[in-house]
Amino acid sequence: MGKFQFNQEAVYNLKIEDTSILDRLVDFESARQAHLKKDHAKVDKRMSLKDAIATFVADGDCMTDSGFAYVRTPHQAYWEIMRQGKKNLQCIAAPNTNHSFLIFNDTCGYSHNSYVGVEMRGIDRNYDRMLRAGRVKILSEWSHGGVALGLKAAQLGAPGVFSKQMLGSDILKYNPYTKVMQNPMRDDPDPVVFIPALYPDVSIIHCQVADKYGNGYIYGPSVNDVATAAAARKLIITAEEIVPESDIRNRQGTVIPFFYADAVVELPFGAVPGNMPGYYYWSRQWWEKLIRFGCASDENLKVFFDEWVHGVKDQFEFVDKLGGARWIAEARIQTKAAEGDHEDIDFTYEEFTKTHESGLYY
Amino acid sequence: MKDLSAPANPLEMLAYILAQQIHDHKIVYIGTGIPMIAGILAHKTHAPNITMVYESGGQDPLPKDLPWSVGCPFTWRKAPVVMEMAYSFAQCCNGFVDIAFLGFAQVDMYGNVNTHQIGKDLLHPTVRMTGSGGNNDLSSLTEEVVLVGVQTPDKFVRTVDFITSVGHLTGGNSRKEAGLVGKGPIAVISQCGEFDFDPTTKRMRVKSLMPGWTLDFTQQFTGFELLKPEGEIPQTPVIPDDILRLLRTEVDPRGVFTTMPTA
Repeated sequence: MGKFQFNQEAVYNLKIEDTSILDRLVDFESARQAHLKKDHAKVDKRMSLKDAIATFVADGDCMTDSGFAYVRTPHQAYWEIMRQGKKNLQCIAAPNTNHSFLIFNDTCGYSHNSYVGVEMRGIDRNYDRMLRAGRVKILSEWSHGGVALGLKAAQLGAPGVFSKQMLGSDILKYNPYTKVMQNPMRDDPDPVVFIPALYPDVSIIHCQVADKYGNGYIYGPSVNDVATAAAARKLIITAEEIVPESDIRNRQGTVIPFFYADAVVELPFGAVPGNMPGYYYWSRQWWEKLIRFGCASDENLKVFFDEWVHGVKDQFEFVDKLGGARWIAEARIQTKAAEGDHEDIDFTYEEFTKTHESGLYY
Repeated sequence: MKDLSAPANPLEMLAYILAQQIHDHKIVYIGTGIPMIAGILAHKTHAPNITMVYESGGQDPLPKDLPWSVGCPFTWRKAPVVMEMAYSFAQCCNGFVDIAFLGFAQVDMYGNVNTHQIGKDLLHPTVRMTGSGGNNDLSSLTEEVVLVGVQTPDKFVRTVDFITSVGHLTGGNSRKEAGLVGKGPIAVISQCGEFDFDPTTKRMRVKSLMPGWTLDFTQQFTGFELLKPEGEIPQTPVIPDDILRLLRTEVDPRGVFTTMPTA
């Protein structure tokens, strides 16, 4: 059985027989030891994506998503994890739907949920099918803010935080990590939720630029990524460009310190087919095809991933399929226009529908 | 091509009413979908000085196209600050945000929201939906919450299948007793009209009804007994032609959120 005093109601409701599977996410001592054992030397950590995934993502690891939904998310690294056939990952789906596809690939077996879906394009029918078919086991339910606070507590070096989120909801009945307590500073009744510091095994964070040591610069929403980088036992930094250290020193903004990183991967187009702020817009039609065609059935999704994940060797082949140089040019203009750094453009496009496929991905 | 002179459809009427909940100079927390339309419509009409904030961290972006994700560039376009997500929610708790707009798959008579699932069993749902995202955080922390969605007896239910976000919990003082911050839901907006909550029991009450909707007809679209206001039920204001045109040409020209779904 697990080492920790989990919320027994949630353990019961989730039918978790052996709670040791929950331990790693809140095991501060082992995270601290992992951080102490890293090579703290400022050395060149560059390697290929294949090597980084093979070395630092192990079967059974608890992995966090990073970026936001389809913004600065390391999709290409996730595809490589799928291609390498990793097994039994626990994925923290905050704030993301992406692990749903790892479940379909039998790569992810366990799910910590705060959001599953594709926002305005609706519910994720694949996750729904995977859950009902018993191909994924839910280990905890959260709100986005609840997960964010757990990761932030780890970054703060605190055992946890007290929160006002999730109180009274059914989420807490399915979260073994949280406990409702009385605020110790008050005499009158004041329920609060204790959210423990969360320590994922591995995180992959895609940055606009990084240096070879692993200082990673983020532009646009950093969401939970700085906290995640500090908390994770293992950290892979992927970046659109590897720049000289002096370049990072001259930038102001969000930087993940090099000593968190285990591997640095130069990965242009690492967030494709999502949006990379400053670099490229998301491929709207690709996501529409995934959601409207791919997620409609297991058969469709197999066809879709055989083509887009297993049928390509790397992100360059992926970009070629999206339209190559033309896609790059369009996607760059689109993201700059969206950010207010390009003359206004018309965002009209030919939507993918079940009855209309233009073959265009920009 | 869209017919600009067609009568307003229910989603357009709903977007207008939602926009009316936004008062100028306030800080407004915007979720995905119709709330984005309402925020931008309000900004272009009666509330040009509102500040919109988003959960992925964008604070006070320059409005432009409709965001397709709460993390997309339109939610942080030239924003002076892009915060980490934990801080972005914390602002609601700390009293900096006036009002939040949230969607639902099911809502009950106390304004409790379900975005998790249809069916009672989390491990074996009839349909699994999104789960919380930021819905719970905003509902738990923001001073005022407005709920928006389509009304059917399956969506306005006596008991939600899963309480994702607490509204007024079991009514009366129960929200406060559970430890939550803020007033909870102050309004629910649907294609049928506007609803508020009785100050004492915290049960959902009709505030006004859209043209053509009677109380009896609305009740048939509701899975619990609606409370009635004193006196005659007012009609919900209709979207004026010039604002409808603005909605169709400038706010949602492609009809992303304001096109009625077809079979």
